[in-house]
Amino acid sequence: MDKAIPEEKLREDLDRIVREVTQASAGIALTRGEAAPGNHICTVHIGFRQGFRSSLSMRADAALFARLAQSMLQEEHITAQDLEDVAKEYFNVLCGHIATALYKATHISARFSVPSFHWGSYSPKNHAEQFIIRYSSGRNEAAELVHHVPVPGAGEGSDGTQSAQF
Amino acid sequence: MAKRVMVVDDSRIQEVQIRKMLEGSGYEVVCYCRNGEEALAQYDDVRPDVVTMDIIMPGMDGLETAQAILEEYPEAKIVMVSSLAYDDTFEEANAIGAKAFLDKPFDEEKLLAALDQALSG
Repeated sequence: MDKAIPEEKLREDLDRIVREVTQASAGIALTRGEAAPGNHICTVHIGFRQGFRSSLSMRADAALFARLAQSMLQEEHITAQDLEDVAKEYFNVLCGHIATALYKATHISARFSVPSFHWGSYSPKNHAEQFIIRYSSGRNEAAELVHHVPVPGAGEGSDGTQSAQF
Repeated sequence: MAKRVMVVDDSRIQEVQIRKMLEGSGYEVVCYCRNGEEALAQYDDVRPDVVTMDIIMPGMDGLETAQAILEEYPEAKIVMVSSLAYDDTFEEANAIGAKAFLDKPFDEEKLLAALDQALSG
């Protein structure tokens, strides 16, 4: 992804899609922020399996994922399992829109892994963080989208499989 | 009598959302399948009025499952559901006989429009 599309264009597309999908999924308006999430962080992660070599994570305060779950499930009381399942579905949809935008920009069809969920901060093996886009929800909740790229020479995808090459 | 809906999606969140969106709408979720294999096994027993079919699922994907159902039951009304909107995905969904395409995330209005379109097609 880092070579197929200029980084500035990639950042713009990712930022727009994060805001649009979050608003459409749960009615939550994210704005660009400065602070990293720091209160009971959760992470959802996907790795591209076809078309691109990179991977994406969303780290956020658990309170933000909890509010996503309350809105998407229309339930005031949610369980830890609800939070995990909603976070994975939300990120799956988000990454579907990202893959569609990348296809329109590059004509490369991307496929990605089933999202994984982690309590705490998570970074895939053999990948480095290329850039981070931070968000605030306006309710003292923070999130950050992280674009990971393979470490040169590692040659492995986030799940241990060989990554696609351009 | 409410129209009977089968939901096929590997995420239970979609089933919960669709069930709630359809409350009082004239549609009712009567069956939830987590994958294509389960949908194929249950279709004959359930005989829903309409199916919402996620495209990206582990194992048999939604397009393969829809094609298999439509080969056996050509009258089946299937709405393909996905956040991946490649041109060739739309074309493939149309080619196999899907009646509508629903882009995730969707709201009640878009869901009802897609179900109505599938049943009228």
